[in-house]
Amino acid sequence: MTKYLKLYSHFLKFSLSNSLQFRFDFTFRILMDCIFYVVNIMFFKVIFAHTSLLGGWTEEQVMIFVSAHLIVDALQMTFFSNGAWMIPVYINKGDLDYYLLRPVSDLFFLCLREFALNSFVNLIIAVVISIYFLTTSTIDFEWWQILLFYLLILNGSYIHLLIRIITITPVFWTHSGRGLEMAFWTLERFAERPDTIYKGWLRYSLMFILPFIALCSFPTRILFGESLLEVLGYCIGISVLFTFVARFLWKAGLKSYSSASS
Amino acid sequence: MHSSFAKMIKVSQLTKTYRVYKKNPGLKGTLQALFKREWIDKVALDHVNLQIEPGEIVGLVGANGAGKTTLVKILSGIIHPTSGDVKVMGYTPFERKYAFRKQISLIMGQKAQLWWDLPAEDCFMLLKEIYEIPEDVYKKNLAHLVDALDVSRVMNIQIRRLSLGERMKMELIAALLHQPKVVFLDEPTIGLDMTAQKAVRDFILDYREKHKPIMILTSHYMEDIKQLAKRLVIIKDGKFVYDGDLDTIAKKHHTHKLINVTLGMNAEIDPNKLLLKHSEIIQRDGDLLKFKVDANEVTAALNEIFKTLEVSDVKVEEEDIADVIENLMKRNR
Repeated sequence: MTKYLKLYSHFLKFSLSNSLQFRFDFTFRILMDCIFYVVNIMFFKVIFAHTSLLGGWTEEQVMIFVSAHLIVDALQMTFFSNGAWMIPVYINKGDLDYYLLRPVSDLFFLCLREFALNSFVNLIIAVVISIYFLTTSTIDFEWWQILLFYLLILNGSYIHLLIRIITITPVFWTHSGRGLEMAFWTLERFAERPDTIYKGWLRYSLMFILPFIALCSFPTRILFGESLLEVLGYCIGISVLFTFVARFLWKAGLKSYSSASS
Repeated sequence: MHSSFAKMIKVSQLTKTYRVYKKNPGLKGTLQALFKREWIDKVALDHVNLQIEPGEIVGLVGANGAGKTTLVKILSGIIHPTSGDVKVMGYTPFERKYAFRKQISLIMGQKAQLWWDLPAEDCFMLLKEIYEIPEDVYKKNLAHLVDALDVSRVMNIQIRRLSLGERMKMELIAALLHQPKVVFLDEPTIGLDMTAQKAVRDFILDYREKHKPIMILTSHYMEDIKQLAKRLVIIKDGKFVYDGDLDTIAKKHHTHKLINVTLGMNAEIDPNKLLLKHSEIIQRDGDLLKFKVDANEVTAALNEIFKTLEVSDVKVEEEDIADVIENLMKRNR
């Protein structure tokens, strides 16, 4: 564990010194994500101009949900995205070789090597937005509900990474550019809406097959007096289950890894 | 060392096949392959056996696509074999146990292991944490390696800004910081100029003297093999066509000798006179001539040379091992 913490401190150091080299790019990226935040919030504001309830949730409930989604997005952008983006490239070009040789978890290395400082600024903005919606809400929250809310958001961001890895693994067999990752980014949009609007088979698919509603919808539910055990059990259950699925597929993929010849 | 000592590397009946599909050229071929695919198994390694003992340096040579890199990648655990048994220091490489990975190293001349956006110094720090090298050992090893390869000036320059030779030296340091027991070197001198090639070679020899690791070396430069390896494995179409002592092969296949002739002063040479029966001229540089001659016909060739040319000095020498291997590979092609 100390080994991984030490390694991560190096990753942080390298990423920080790299990211500040290009100041304009750095600022622009932060601005882009802010636009994304505004659009997301506006989208629901527009909807609530026409209705007072969405899938049973009020506007202030949905706004808290939106802020949860913004945090999950900023978390994955900050910690995992830049690293994970390179995985399909490495598989196809045979550049996974050296990651497989090192006495350290290859996925740890690949997913966490790049820390995005610009997204970290966005993460702070997203957290501030969520605090704003929580404090201006008329609903009464217990302190532990808020704590669990943020913890489950962290868990949601981890599940996001797991699903992403699962959709990347086909690259081992297909040698296609990005595997099913593009489908992942399209389907991920299901996570941007409150889960209460999904019914029937779609709901079940989003709960258990591609569990996008475990990312931010269920964590938000913890604030609204839902059954604590149910929400916790589901969210943690999904992250444990999908950890195994992702590891299994990754290992199966490595078995087929052919490492493009030099 | 007694021969019953546990073999460091033991490979038996190792086979690796890749499934590839056949595609006819052009758009038509592409469309055909879209609907109907003809799969063929490309055999990269075909039931090979290999045993290597501690301290051995094995030179692995063969044409492109002969299976050298595949073998090295299976031995280091990067790719899985299709069938057969592989043991390295008692480990099954593809299981990729951390204890195994800590004791091996792979250097690929054509693939960078260092992170291009970092200076070498930072890369080495990262490796220190990865391999959990104690601070004092790390400092000592690094100082020694940096000194031996003379790279202290460029330690804090980003890898991407280094010359190829400097980069390769950094790659060597990165690969040896944790003092691996088994080192795989895949084309370690490719693309380097003569000076850098020699520096790398000398360094590898020095490391071997001090640490006695197993080394498996693949190279296109026969000079590398000649200088570094004692044992030679020639691989062709996934099979070993030769596995044995480098000196033995040299003796056995020394089919030719070289005769170096220095011509007398003012000697005019009629080009026709150079077409000798027993020897073939392979090099001419001013009044220096180099003939290649069948090892059994040296006397006849010398007689002929003395008869036809005005000679001031003559020297007979063995054909270079590098050339011998090269010829052997051509013959087996």
